[in-house]
Amino acid sequence: MNFEQLFLTVLTYGCLFSVMTVCLNLQYARGGMINFGTVAYFAAGAYAYAIFTQEPPKGLDQYLFGFDAPWWIGFIAAGVASLLFAIITGWPTLRLRGEYLALTTFAFAEVLHSFLLNERRIGNGSVGLSNVDRPDFSAIGLSENYGFMLSAVLLLILTSLLCRRILASPYGRAVDAVRDDEVAAEAVGKDVHRLRFEIFVISAVPIGFAGALYAMITTLVSPDLFTAEVTFFVWIALVLGGEHTIKGVILGTLALVTFEEVVRSLHFETVRAAEIAASVEYMMTGLIFVMILRWQPFTRFAKKGATP
Amino acid sequence: MSSDLLVVENLRKQFGGLKAVGGDDGLSFSVKEGSFVGLIGPNGAGKSTTFNLISGVLEPTAGRVVLAGTDLANVRSSDIASLGLGRTFQTPRAFMSLSVLDNVLVGAKSSGENLRSVLLGGWRSSEPALIEKAKAALTRVGLEDRVTETVSNLSGGELRMLEVARQLIRDPKILLLDEPTAGVDPSLQGKLSKILTDLHKEGRTLIVVEHNLHFLFSIADQIIVLQQGELLSSGTPQEIKTDPKVVAAYLGDEHAA
Repeated sequence: MNFEQLFLTVLTYGCLFSVMTVCLNLQYARGGMINFGTVAYFAAGAYAYAIFTQEPPKGLDQYLFGFDAPWWIGFIAAGVASLLFAIITGWPTLRLRGEYLALTTFAFAEVLHSFLLNERRIGNGSVGLSNVDRPDFSAIGLSENYGFMLSAVLLLILTSLLCRRILASPYGRAVDAVRDDEVAAEAVGKDVHRLRFEIFVISAVPIGFAGALYAMITTLVSPDLFTAEVTFFVWIALVLGGEHTIKGVILGTLALVTFEEVVRSLHFETVRAAEIAASVEYMMTGLIFVMILRWQPFTRFAKKGATP
Repeated sequence: MSSDLLVVENLRKQFGGLKAVGGDDGLSFSVKEGSFVGLIGPNGAGKSTTFNLISGVLEPTAGRVVLAGTDLANVRSSDIASLGLGRTFQTPRAFMSLSVLDNVLVGAKSSGENLRSVLLGGWRSSEPALIEKAKAALTRVGLEDRVTETVSNLSGGELRMLEVARQLIRDPKILLLDEPTAGVDPSLQGKLSKILTDLHKEGRTLIVVEHNLHFLFSIADQIIVLQQGELLSSGTPQEIKTDPKVVAAYLGDEHAA
């Protein structure tokens, strides 16, 4: 992989996953809600995009729905699907706190994964939906790689601006207050359930858009791509970046994606060397993780900018 | 004659079968609009539990609370607060990640707590006035020099004053204060006494739980005494001071005669 390709991949996936960490930051670091089912909202977005843009079923296709809609309708559908899934999952669960909420959201994500795997009429089951439609960037003179990279950057910028706007307002102040002390917040008339629910639902929308973009880039959606590993990856990135600041969590995510992509881009002469390298990668990941948590470089850097 | 702002009727609360508030008939009392009521009693008498029942933090086992004509059964504590009830807590509660100023601003009803207003930015015009109001509340409780500090720098007594400031900005009709002088140094106690007296003069209704009887008897116009969750006595400070039942509850039977 040459440097340009590496740069594009890191930036595209880095921004894509940063959208999720920024939203998770809103839910967890500010809203105090532990969502261990992040991947489900990502998957909801990706599948909605694929279903809306694919052709109606024919021949051996097992899926029932295909609307052959243009990419932008699919993109909007992705945000709506994620929003609806957040409403369905958030409504009954947000009275739960801490690890109870974590377990419930995790279970919801597993249920969705299992559903997509076994209900073939939605997305062909384990085979998934391939040849997902993607927008044509040549009309604006961009290659596909650059087009998707810029789309991911743009989505991240818009998501960050949205989060910043929310957090820097009295609304964000109330959200912080609810996280710090619900009883005291209720004593001054704050509707704790409404605030938690709204934050949960709003932050799911950009994750759905990220899912749509992911489907465009990979041109494939299948249950294998949306496992709990994605959730844990985003959580690790959030912890690395240090909670609370938008800049910090973006830096944490970019660092994690860069590390993974650099290791992946290395060439090995023998299988044995590749195996050793894979082991070393795990060791290095652990070591870097400990070092970052000890010195918190991204948190410090982000706090200098004092972005909320 | 002013009307009853708060009516507590046959209120009972049990924790796992153990009585916390109310005997067989439950606890009943009423508070007239504009009055200053002291709620006293030995430790474990059920004073804070009564506050928690009135403010909706706890649900009563039986009985009801009526605030300004509204039955508070099944009303959430945030909605009770919005009806005009303000309260502080026995252990001061603060929003630890927020600054002193923001802690007070959380108490204000801002248009910026509406998502549409946040996204369109319409809340900004009303914010400076709220900040001034919050600063005025902080000045009133003697925390004007701590505006930008984090809450973790405040002492226990200052946290109590911060809670009072957070309620002041809300302009509540009725204010429930749970042991406001505990841990507050004497100079701030004087300030607190003045604030409470002023609030009373402004026509606000106050119910204050307090162990510092000297402090309370000097400013309250009605005292309610609880013992083991039941109403022991009620009357003016002068009547309560000489009530043998109250003296016995506080000092033992040998002092009652």
